[in-house]
Amino acid sequence: MSASQSAVRSRAEAVKVSRTFDWLILFTLFFVVLGGYHIHYMLTGGDWDFWTDWKDRRLWVTVAPIVSITFPAAVQACLWYRYRLPFGAVVCILGLLLGEWINRYLNFWGWTYFPVNFCFPSNLFPGAIVLDAVLLLSGSLTVTAVVGGLAYGLLFYPGNWPIIAPLHVPVEYNGMMMTLADLQGYHYVRTGTPEYIRMVEKGTLRTFGKDVAPVSAFFSGFVSIIIYFLWHFFGKWFAQTTFVSSEDF
Amino acid sequence: MAATTESVKADAAEAPLLNVRNLVLGSLVYVLFYGWVRWYEGVYGWSAGLDSFAPEFETYWMNFLYIEFVLEVSTAGILWGYIWKTRDRKVLSITPREELRRHFTHWVWLVCYAWAIYYGASYFTEQDGTWHQTIVRDTDFTPSHIIEFYLSYPIYIITGGAAFLYAKTRLPAYQNGLSLMYLVSVVGPFMILPNVGLNEWGHTFWFMEELFVAPLHYGFVFFGWAALGVLGVVNTEVAALSKLLKKDLA
Repeated sequence: MSASQSAVRSRAEAVKVSRTFDWLILFTLFFVVLGGYHIHYMLTGGDWDFWTDWKDRRLWVTVAPIVSITFPAAVQACLWYRYRLPFGAVVCILGLLLGEWINRYLNFWGWTYFPVNFCFPSNLFPGAIVLDAVLLLSGSLTVTAVVGGLAYGLLFYPGNWPIIAPLHVPVEYNGMMMTLADLQGYHYVRTGTPEYIRMVEKGTLRTFGKDVAPVSAFFSGFVSIIIYFLWHFFGKWFAQTTFVSSEDF
Repeated sequence: MAATTESVKADAAEAPLLNVRNLVLGSLVYVLFYGWVRWYEGVYGWSAGLDSFAPEFETYWMNFLYIEFVLEVSTAGILWGYIWKTRDRKVLSITPREELRRHFTHWVWLVCYAWAIYYGASYFTEQDGTWHQTIVRDTDFTPSHIIEFYLSYPIYIITGGAAFLYAKTRLPAYQNGLSLMYLVSVVGPFMILPNVGLNEWGHTFWFMEELFVAPLHYGFVFFGWAALGVLGVVNTEVAALSKLLKKDLA
């Protein structure tokens, strides 16, 4: 074959070109997925993620895994099933957490002075690692959805417990019992957010007392299984390479 | 294949496959420009951005809005017009090496799109949340909105449109029609901008709080999903590059 018929001059150049494209693709994939995932997550679970007084044992535990398993499932559907890359979930969470931490530090704290120990993001890594590990070991959509999805929901609260526990100690303030996180919320008034404590501390789930967090996590795991299936197929759809006729537009 | 004397001479004369200078400069444009924007917000958000009826708000924020409108429309017209006007009318006749070079240039555009999407969808969108919790809103054109909706979103639209047009006008791999996922990954995030109309209408007439998870915001969520179209773009590119490199990597 003559050099003019080939895109590269040597095998070494072909390898170098291939590696360079790997980095360009990874960078672009990482930041575009980060952007889409972050806007999705902040507008479906964001308020629970922004403030410690929203990080309760009921709705935070329920909502955060359900809305955050979406993009990991979709990206796994492309990276694993096309390239056998077993890090779709972790790469999504790395992107989301990077975007969130930059924002909480430079903007929540740096622009509007909410302290970082009031507005740090939730930790989603344990569930993502398990999700990738289950897919790697099983190679099965069904097993990953059922075992990985359930684990994703169940692991969320334990994965965040070491961070949030010091803020859940009870304090008495003006004759009322509340958590330290609630007290942070009273002191840092937010001009556009409803008082969360009045929304969450009602309903019959409250009567189960100490069992609230495990019940919420189990329910979250159940819905996460369904959402995983759904978003796996979304991911497959988004990964297609179809061309449509210009005349259709 | 062997590197002949002729091909070595050709190597020395031709442009590099990846123009690293363009890649670095393109990235720096976004990082430095948005660094300056963030400085501007920090200074003039507090000193001139709290009361939309104050004269200094008009000076520092509304004028910023008017200027960015003009610059964005001009930039889009000139950039997209230039890429279209200078299109390759014999795109299917280029050599494999030229095709590879163009794929690299295309990826410089996609890296720029990645920066633009990050700043628009992640950095400035969540930033808006914290400004809403800090001020009492008295206008649709808050300092954070002037940056988020009317600066960072148009910039990713312009960048995404340029990347799409570059691929369509210069790469053989995109001559079979319109790449559906490329359209989704550019047009979907574009639709977030018109969705601002719904958002502002809702906040103005009906829902004054800025609960981020309120259903009023779900339009942004739906169109944000379109960013996943990048998976299809990557797959299309990998297929095209495999075709170009496969025999040399075997």
